[in-house]
Amino acid sequence: MDEYQEEETAFAVEEVSKIIKESVESAIGGNAYQHSRVHQWTTTVVEQCLSQLSKLGKPFKYIVTCVIMQKNGAGLQTSSACFWDNTTDGSCAVRWENKSMYCIVSVYGLAI
Amino acid sequence: MMQGSNTYLIRPNHQHKFKPAVVKEYIREIVRDRLSGVRYNPEEVPELCRSLADSIKDKVKNAGLDRYKLVVQVVIGEQRGQGVKMSSRCLWDADTDNYAEDVFMNENMFCVAAVFGSYYY
Repeated sequence: MDEYQEEETAFAVEEVSKIIKESVESAIGGNAYQHSRVHQWTTTVVEQCLSQLSKLGKPFKYIVTCVIMQKNGAGLQTSSACFWDNTTDGSCAVRWENKSMYCIVSVYGLAI
Repeated sequence: MMQGSNTYLIRPNHQHKFKPAVVKEYIREIVRDRLSGVRYNPEEVPELCRSLADSIKDKVKNAGLDRYKLVVQVVIGEQRGQGVKMSSRCLWDADTDNYAEDVFMNENMFCVAAVFGSYYY
């Protein structure tokens, strides 16, 4: 019984990763970088991720961030430091790219 | 992590609340201090980014927010005229949780640091 509960409430990295990939594909899938649409794209990706995550029904608070960057040879580095409970909380980051842009989505799940 | 006896507090009192303005100041100081006059160097940047995130996390942790779980995210990028957009959304308790962020730029790079604080009931 305890083991079952443990699995239910730990952060499910693969499930979340799948959700992120789907949200990114559906929001910016075949598009090329357009400065005027980028704001709307990041908002859509993030909101879609969040609504799918809330549908999972797990007792978690989520933080989702999305960075979209045009490809032009410049470098980008992201890192994060977290102060939380390792047994219940977790994070997942997905890097996606197409010919004209990069998209990095990170999801942090904090257990209640 | 959170040791000690139960306090049954479901809301932080005013002193222990996550104050975005205060945390933004901490972020600003640390980033300005570390990145002023630094050039984007692809070999050093991963280490720099990681240590910046750790310093910010330690500073905020020691500022008395002991009931808060913290997530600090630092993004450092080279400035080469490309377009970048960063956005985030959170599913949390708006009464108790909050975030603070700051952007730093110099001629050849930019740095965005965001700290998210979530109250542990």
